[in-house]
Amino acid sequence: MMSDDNSIIRVNNLSRHFTVADGKSGFIGSIQNLFSRRYTTKKAVDDISFSIAKGDFVGYVGENGAGKSTTIKMLTGILVPTSGKIVVAGNVPHINRAQNARNIGVVFGQRTQLWWDLPVLESFDLLRSIFRVPEDDFKRNFEELSETLELGPLLKVPVRKLSLGQRMRCDLTAALLHNPRILFLDEPTIGLDIIAKDYVRKFLKMVNKERETTIILTTHDMDDIEALCSRIIILDQGKIAYDGSTEKLKIDYVREKAIEIELHEDDTGTISIPNVKLVKSTANKKWLRFNQDDISVQEVVSQIMRERRVKDIAIHEPKVGDIIKNIYANGKAASQQTKLQKTLP
Amino acid sequence: MSSENTHTDTFPFGPAKPVYLNFIEKSFQKQIAYKFEYFVGVLNGLLFIFVFTSLWNAIYAGADTLEGSPFTRSQMISYAVFAMLFRISMTMEDNEIGRKIRTGAISMDFIKPVSYPLMLFSEAIGQTLFHWFTRVIPLSIISLLAFDAVMPQAPSAYVLTAIAWVLGYSILYIINFGFSLLAFWFTEVFSFQLMKFGLFTLFSGGIVPIDFFPDFAKPLIALIPFQYILYVPTSIFIGHIQGAEAIRLLLIQAVWVFTLGFICWRVWKAAQKKLIIQGG
Repeated sequence: MMSDDNSIIRVNNLSRHFTVADGKSGFIGSIQNLFSRRYTTKKAVDDISFSIAKGDFVGYVGENGAGKSTTIKMLTGILVPTSGKIVVAGNVPHINRAQNARNIGVVFGQRTQLWWDLPVLESFDLLRSIFRVPEDDFKRNFEELSETLELGPLLKVPVRKLSLGQRMRCDLTAALLHNPRILFLDEPTIGLDIIAKDYVRKFLKMVNKERETTIILTTHDMDDIEALCSRIIILDQGKIAYDGSTEKLKIDYVREKAIEIELHEDDTGTISIPNVKLVKSTANKKWLRFNQDDISVQEVVSQIMRERRVKDIAIHEPKVGDIIKNIYANGKAASQQTKLQKTLP
Repeated sequence: MSSENTHTDTFPFGPAKPVYLNFIEKSFQKQIAYKFEYFVGVLNGLLFIFVFTSLWNAIYAGADTLEGSPFTRSQMISYAVFAMLFRISMTMEDNEIGRKIRTGAISMDFIKPVSYPLMLFSEAIGQTLFHWFTRVIPLSIISLLAFDAVMPQAPSAYVLTAIAWVLGYSILYIINFGFSLLAFWFTEVFSFQLMKFGLFTLFSGGIVPIDFFPDFAKPLIALIPFQYILYVPTSIFIGHIQGAEAIRLLLIQAVWVFTLGFICWRVWKAAQKKLIIQGG
């Protein structure tokens, strides 16, 4: 077991099983279901362990049903683990639910913790009472948040009249008013337009940096992960398929590179390098693809520079999203690869 | 920052309030959100009072007494008016938990460091205060002028009624809360709600005083808590029940509050466990 003194969340051999009714379909089946049902056990979270250091910004990703939300629910104390151990900032969440609640902030993209019929301001006032935020802290926090998130014109508006983006800004504020040590975000950018997304991302980056809040983010938006998370945990069918830095993920999983070259107008030659595939070619533009195991980027580039008159060159980084898609696609192979890498020094 | 930025250091909050007091206040405020609904509600109340007083007037057919009825006509009218007003004063949302469980919104409540039942109760109190001030008081004044309902003379009637009302209200609240907890097990609790509504309508004394039920039914009705919600406070208020009998009924009400409260508290403990074991 890692004994990381700096860790704020520790999860050991955590499992959560659900019993699911195996309903028969159709009219007769429905009636049979009324009287007898068979149940099967589904392992939503299957023996996972990880620890998260103070101040980390962790992306927690996986397909629908991979066990992300189940984990978050256990970390926030609203779900009891079937087995395993969780400690969040010194508390076992489902045992000290209220105590744990004071240490964490939660934003669920599809829900709001604001009071629907009340002006935003009143929700904040309630949260101040609920979390017993000291006067000075509250004042400082509120002023800072409402300035950064430009809440001024929204404060008197009832929550139900806010747009999704506006509501998200208010929900983020609501989650941070008591200055939690850990912030859980479950799809905070879902349904937002590009500008609002960008806004939320910048804000989260700032919170992580300036308040040193530990952030755990689950999302389906890989751009969120790429823009924000230094570390990524990928869940696949209840098990951890990858756990490591986002950078390392690229290095580990993608050996393939793409290079885009624009040649001078008067250079109409072609490029032919062993092990490099010419994907597409026009008069002045060439698209190349190769595997770094066969040939290094440096070799490819220097050879082109020697042979041709290059006007512009662009090397494309693999997108985290594509990598993760690959991992889902060959889940088993990927997880074996991870295990292999973990055993290596 | 631009200069026209009128500094956000205008801090728009008052002093911090104790949490449950704050819930009461915010719940009161919430009710004002739908003004139209409010006016329709007042109109509805007036309509119901009109219907029931007209009905009793017709039944008494101009006479002051009625064969087999322990009430004089004027008492009967007062009963109809005040039973309806008490009923309005006790209006509360009775299936918020069910709704929140179905939508999963309950998880947002469970991540807050407060007692959930106390939070809901505070919200109910806020609603009730709102109904008292904005519905019951104006409707009382209209009713006293328009339908010859009579207010009691003795100050003791007001004191006893106030106690009976608080206890009756508590019984109704606890029953509602208990029934809505069933949602933790059954998710869809409409049929339970319907059953509760039926029992309440028939046996609370909101429409027909318990006196009019056949003799064999009365002891059975006395065994269930519903008559203590509206029949007892209303009867005490109009002077139909007085003195030692009133005190005796207040005590029974109190026993119901504690018994139901205890059961509910146990069910709540189980429900809470159920939720965090099953998942929100």
